[in-house]
Amino acid sequence: MMTVPQTSASLRRPARIAINAGLVIFIALYAAIGFLQPNYLEPGLFMNFLRRAAPLVILACGQLYVILTGGFDLSMGAVATLVVLAASILINGDPDTTWAVIGALYVMGVSIGLVNGFVVAFLKVPSIITTLGTMLLVNGLALAWSGGAARGDLPDNFRNLGRLVWRDVSVIGTLPLAAVVLAGFVALAWFGLNGTVYGKRALAVGDNPRAAELAGTPVAATRILAFVVSAVSAVTAGILLGGFSGVSVNAGEGLELQAIAACVIGGAQLLGGRGSVWSAVFGALSLFALFTLLNLLGLPQALRDSIQGVILIAAVGASMWRTRRRN
Amino acid sequence: MTTNIAKPKPAIPDLPVAVLLAGLSIGFFAVVALVTGETAQLSGEGIAGLLQRMVALGLVALGQTFVILVGSIDLSVAALISAVAVLASHVMQGDPAMMLPAVLLCLGFCAVVGFVNGALVAYGGINPLIVTLGTGLIIQGVLAASFGVLQGAVAREFQVIAYGSVLGVPYSLLLLATLSLAAGFVLDRTLFGARIYAVGGNPDGARLAGIRTERVILSAHMVASLFAGAAGLYLAARLQSGTPWIGRDGIYDLESIAVTVIGGTILAGGKGGVAGTLAGVLLFATLDAGFNMLGIDAFLKQVLRGAIVIAAVAVHAVRTKGHVA
Amino acid sequence: MMAVPALSMTGISKVFPGVRALDGVDFECLSGEVHAICGENGAGKSTLMKILGGSYRPDAGTIQLAGQAVRFTHPRQAAEAGIAIIHQELSLLPHRTVAENIFMGREIARRGLLDKAGMRRKAAALLSRIGAAIDPQALVSSLSIALQQLVEIAKALLMDARILVMDEPTAALDERDSRALLGLVEGLRREGVSIIYISHRMPEVMAIADRITILKDGKKVWTRPCDAAPIDEIVRAMVGRDLKDFYPATPVSAPGEVLLAVEGGTNAGLRDLTFEVRAGEIIGVAGLEDSGKGALAQALVGDVPFTGGAVTLRGKRIALRTPRQATAAGIGYLPGDRKSEGLALRQSVRDNALLTLRSLMGLFTRPQQGALAHDVIDERLGAMDVRAADFGQEIGTLSGGNQQKAIIVRWLAQASDILVFVEPTRGIDIAAKAAIYETMRAFADSGRGIVVISSDMPELIGIADRVLVMHQGRVSGAVPRGANEEDIMHLALGLADAPRGEAGA
Repeated sequence: MMTVPQTSASLRRPARIAINAGLVIFIALYAAIGFLQPNYLEPGLFMNFLRRAAPLVILACGQLYVILTGGFDLSMGAVATLVVLAASILINGDPDTTWAVIGALYVMGVSIGLVNGFVVAFLKVPSIITTLGTMLLVNGLALAWSGGAARGDLPDNFRNLGRLVWRDVSVIGTLPLAAVVLAGFVALAWFGLNGTVYGKRALAVGDNPRAAELAGTPVAATRILAFVVSAVSAVTAGILLGGFSGVSVNAGEGLELQAIAACVIGGAQLLGGRGSVWSAVFGALSLFALFTLLNLLGLPQALRDSIQGVILIAAVGASMWRTRRRN
Repeated sequence: MTTNIAKPKPAIPDLPVAVLLAGLSIGFFAVVALVTGETAQLSGEGIAGLLQRMVALGLVALGQTFVILVGSIDLSVAALISAVAVLASHVMQGDPAMMLPAVLLCLGFCAVVGFVNGALVAYGGINPLIVTLGTGLIIQGVLAASFGVLQGAVAREFQVIAYGSVLGVPYSLLLLATLSLAAGFVLDRTLFGARIYAVGGNPDGARLAGIRTERVILSAHMVASLFAGAAGLYLAARLQSGTPWIGRDGIYDLESIAVTVIGGTILAGGKGGVAGTLAGVLLFATLDAGFNMLGIDAFLKQVLRGAIVIAAVAVHAVRTKGHVA
Repeated sequence: MMAVPALSMTGISKVFPGVRALDGVDFECLSGEVHAICGENGAGKSTLMKILGGSYRPDAGTIQLAGQAVRFTHPRQAAEAGIAIIHQELSLLPHRTVAENIFMGREIARRGLLDKAGMRRKAAALLSRIGAAIDPQALVSSLSIALQQLVEIAKALLMDARILVMDEPTAALDERDSRALLGLVEGLRREGVSIIYISHRMPEVMAIADRITILKDGKKVWTRPCDAAPIDEIVRAMVGRDLKDFYPATPVSAPGEVLLAVEGGTNAGLRDLTFEVRAGEIIGVAGLEDSGKGALAQALVGDVPFTGGAVTLRGKRIALRTPRQATAAGIGYLPGDRKSEGLALRQSVRDNALLTLRSLMGLFTRPQQGALAHDVIDERLGAMDVRAADFGQEIGTLSGGNQQKAIIVRWLAQASDILVFVEPTRGIDIAAKAAIYETMRAFADSGRGIVVISSDMPELIGIADRVLVMHQGRVSGAVPRGANEEDIMHLALGLADAPRGEAGA
């Protein structure tokens, strides 16, 4: 996962710098964790760390698509909550329906993404307002549907997606299914940005939508697709979350901001034009490592918000400082 | 020299939008009241009740109008409202003698938050969305970590702000009206107001014209925070004690931005005003009251609110040529 | 010895990271003098003026106003010292009134309260002093660019400026409005104002300046009285080459078959437009600011489409309802405002050149193969002589000329048949201009066509095979190669029919 396929020498240089920002922070934080709790350095616990970080990493990858095109998606946490609640209601204890329901959840996610995208691209409502609106809307729907409380339970075959761990795997010892889902999603997200022309279109749209439009770029389609990817990532993350923490009405609360913070830590530029999948992946891992570290240090959970706030301001401030000094 | 005569297009104040919105809102309210048979809502008392729904959001939105006009934005208001409400009840502990110190402390705290926001935006050059999202998170985190359980309550005398009235007009309404007029006056008639429009409309131009744009942005942020503080104090008075979540639960950040934009203030800054914002607040208040009369459940109400926020902003935004992100 | 100069700047130096922007420049301006500064882009003109205006602080050197040394740390101090700068980019508030704009930053106020009536009165007086019939209560957004320029000037005069800097004031103006502006400068000079005039338009400079200073690479070349400085000598001092080989030679072969034909093209800004572009032809479009020439460009590239009429390309009817359709049909656009409409500034040179190709191919095209491969586009960029240390570097760091060339490569890669240029050399220095003209000619000579819309008349006459002149949304006539400015001006003002009949179709 750490090797970055590149094709030309001249491209490699800037890309490597971008990776380093998030990667270095992650290694430093994880080293600190290892210092406090040496067993975190064992493959088993590292895999467990990956398993728990998986939803955030996946959300960050989806959020990155929107950030590249110059927007925000604040509705993803609400979508994840909706997924958890809807899964428990729709499956209703019958494990045979699990796969059909998962399909239905993705359809639901894609439609929410389409709504976000259409409103931003055609009704020209700034994405921050659009997605705050859909956040309210989706949250309200989820609560109205479930009657405001967690109902029912998820069957094992659904929960296994987030919970199952294969023991006695050679070399790494244990392999959580969630880590496989994580790797698969990251690979897909990477392919979308680097294996197709979409990535460069998204960067151009985020950098200067007007110029992109005049050069023939399908700006609206590029935007809409980003919101769809983001919503799909929220559904995926929601399924994993339902796996490890069960049904709850605040399963996805605050995840949208964590995903944005993750991208920023990894070096993606808010309002578009700069960033790569690795910004999202290593940014999210760094953020999750930080949360773990704070837990180990015994800080109250509630302070997570505060730490995130400091990180957001500091990360953006630092990049501002760098560009200012360069100019 | 030869110059063609400028087409005499008069300066259009933001009044038409405001009037249209206010008319729409009142019409909706009246129709719902008549349809549901709740004609008592149309009495003087009912109207006063409706207008009182405007107070908390109205106060926040007035402040939000300042920052949006200057080309910035404030997402930290919700957390700040919670912080002020908690701080006020914590300091007062029901003791009327502590009223003044508590209010001063709260407003002082708001001024500091506004200063930090403004300094980071104006002097630090950091995107205001990030700055205020960040400071909001910081405040919210500290608040939740240290005031998770209810502690104290405001003095009974303090609750007069929310429940007292003179000649049938609630004090809270008078407060909103006074502050609205003051805000309108500042924007329209004072140097500070002119500078806000200049900086929001064209920051580079304003700087070249000799305006110290950083100071104007910083001041606007302080105004926004102080208005959020006023809203927090009002809510503390109404609810008797503050909880760390009243700001977030009221979605004051999103709704204050939404009503400001609905009222015709453009997010890029430099155009708009108080009248439009108040009309936007009235629209939200009547929708809220209308949903109550219709007996729509709380969750569904949230769904409708989300949809209305998007729709209302879209009505303005859809005509903009060019791109938004 | 003459009286103490109103302004004298001595030994001004300024270093930016990696660039020596100014190196010991001396400059002075007497009162009642128009002193022109000429130089290529990057020669240091704007930096010098930004130092004068208080936006930058010099690393070395002194500024004296009427013999008194001054130091500015904020534009405000320069303004208070009587220095007014009219910037290239307009710095107005579109949603505010003319009066509010004139008084921006210098509002009349007593204890923080505005005196609105007083400002209106004073604004009206100022506007009438410069002969502009503008209502102080009008919204700036309702004014034409030319009138907005006048509001800028009124703004500058508000402070009773003794020194007025005009940085390319006519760049956004057409011929008629430029002449009016020059008349105004003449009037101010008579009032004893010192005017520093920066322009790329040589005829204008010759007409108005008393003295000319040439800057090159951050150093002063010379300062001479205007009559001792013929145009070709100025150009040579600026770029070190002669003017005569400036425009490319006329093509030897006659134009080929019809490529693009517009018949009865109509929309809100255009009325019944009919013309054609043949293979190998460069068609110029001239006209005043509001003549519809801009609307024509926007219609051709699908930005503000035709609502009536028919467009055919190589005999096939094409729809031009969106920029994407126009692009796919083979019409490429090179906007006048490259920064806001042409480039994604933070992306690499290569990415900008590949933008259209990537946008029109299927979504699942492999991004590094075939025409999208780096070495293919690098070769094209190299062939166009785009100068960059590395085509992976951000395009925002290149000069205007190189940026323009990179956009041309974008359309060459797409194999467009028709290129629509708007103000192709605005903000591009003289040396790079010649290269752009050369490229345009080569493109046309390869059997394709160009429509070039420009308010720079010598440019149109020099480069175009035929110039269509627009007036009030129509083509009022066409002139062949070799026509003079008078003929074009006549048509542009709607004064006469085409002197040589209907050459337009």
